[in-house]
Amino acid sequence: MAEDLVLDTAIRDWVLVPLSVVMVLIGVLRYFVAKLMRSFQPPDRKALKEGQVVLRARNLKAGANFIPAKSFRVRRFYFTNEENGLLHVPKDQAQNAQAQMFSDPNMAMDMMKKNLSMIIPQTLTFAWVNFFFSGFVAAKIPFPLTQRFRSMLQNGIDLSTVDVSYVSSRSWYFLNLFGLRGLFSLILGEENAQDDTQRMMQMGGFGFDPTKSLSAEKDSLDIVQHEWVLPKMEQRAEEVLRKLVK
Amino acid sequence: MVGAAEEAQLNRLESQVDNGGGGAWEYLCLVRKLKARRSEKVLKHGLSILNDPKARSRLGGEEWTLYEQVAIAAMDCQRLDVAKDCIATLSKKFTGSLRVGRLEAMLLEAKGAWADAEKAYARLLEDNPLDQAMHKRKVAMAKAQGNISAAVDFLNKYLEIFMADQDAWRELAEIYVSLQMYKQAAFCYEELILSQPTVPLYHLAYAEVLYTMGGLENLQAAKKYYASTINLTGGKNTRALYGVCLCSVAINQLTKGRNKEEESSELQSLAAEALLKDYKHRAPEKLPLLSTMLKNMKLIS
Repeated sequence: MAEDLVLDTAIRDWVLVPLSVVMVLIGVLRYFVAKLMRSFQPPDRKALKEGQVVLRARNLKAGANFIPAKSFRVRRFYFTNEENGLLHVPKDQAQNAQAQMFSDPNMAMDMMKKNLSMIIPQTLTFAWVNFFFSGFVAAKIPFPLTQRFRSMLQNGIDLSTVDVSYVSSRSWYFLNLFGLRGLFSLILGEENAQDDTQRMMQMGGFGFDPTKSLSAEKDSLDIVQHEWVLPKMEQRAEEVLRKLVK
Repeated sequence: MVGAAEEAQLNRLESQVDNGGGGAWEYLCLVRKLKARRSEKVLKHGLSILNDPKARSRLGGEEWTLYEQVAIAAMDCQRLDVAKDCIATLSKKFTGSLRVGRLEAMLLEAKGAWADAEKAYARLLEDNPLDQAMHKRKVAMAKAQGNISAAVDFLNKYLEIFMADQDAWRELAEIYVSLQMYKQAAFCYEELILSQPTVPLYHLAYAEVLYTMGGLENLQAAKKYYASTINLTGGKNTRALYGVCLCSVAINQLTKGRNKEEESSELQSLAAEALLKDYKHRAPEKLPLLSTMLKNMKLIS
């Protein structure tokens, strides 16, 4: 295609700009709706304790060489013994954890709220864009691209002869959907930026198993070799003092 | 804990504010961030901001944080009227808030109405059984009433859940030392060393507990921990230097010179020399006292 397509300026005024503005406004609106719907969840006692246990076990692993061997062994036994060690997870309980999480109605409710606030506006805007603006070119990017980008930039136009640097309106919608994170972090503050891509990933990978980190910590604690560093400290202190006295 | 650089900055800001140089709000922010306890200054400068409607409205949403800070400082200075006003303003703005509820309970505590304060905390804890600050208040209250064993109980219960809380371990260690329960105190100090192996003060405190417990094994360990304190402080800690001397003398007395391999180290004589040098430098009039003592210990000739 040698000659360029001429894009009507009305397309810019009535499609390109409104679409971007609407996407931004919807993002902001969704942030506030999500803020309204967020329920305060008191931290779970068991989860909290498990977190603290893991933290303390990590400290023990890192600082093991700074306490006498006897103290270390006592602590290790306290954490890892098979009867009631803090890091020991009984077999049957480990399998149940996932099932428990599903059966907790509060959790499911929360998840649903989160997903609803994401899915509903997304479907609506997509339907809106599809209905009004489908099937034509809305913008042109100022550099050439290879054929591979066709599916990304010309969604909704099934012509193989159009130059790839033209962007279809539906693709413009998708670009906005995924690309506005930087703008949101400017408007709403750094940590409040909602990222759809991240959200989607969270949706897939829910069901984090806290018992796993406990048993991982237990295994690594079991293989720690204790070597008290304090005897070396005496020699080092001697050197320090010798320098000082001189 | 406040680092030296931060403390210097805090002092600089404090003198600047005291001399009318402005920056009161920055000072208050820094105090809050470092969790320093300078209640009188906070009360004075905080109140002057709160009483000035223009300065107060300039803070925006931070105004309420300042009310809270001033309320706590006022309670610390026994200006209960000020504290009451601040809390009243806060509870008008945030009705039914947990944080304001805590302040109200603290006011009762400051008045000395222990039973009422306890009831208030119990009621607040019913809704939020995992509020750390509230549990700590309960410990502090038991301690203020002189009921040390209850404080130990509360702390132990608290540490069962929040076992990575270093401040609580430190408090427990100090209480155990005051009760002369050295074994338990040693355990707490071990926990502190584990969580922050490079803080010399924990090594020093642990060494002191070990030395106090006595016995050959403990004394030898104590000497090692004093040595590591010297190592971590670069030999600037006088207490650790004395500790090494005393430990080596005590070990000598116990073994009566039988244990020859321990004697090979010249740590104690070096420590004695370092002490002498330090005293010569900083307190020459006390030098004779030190040298007679060290001579008695047979560490210098």
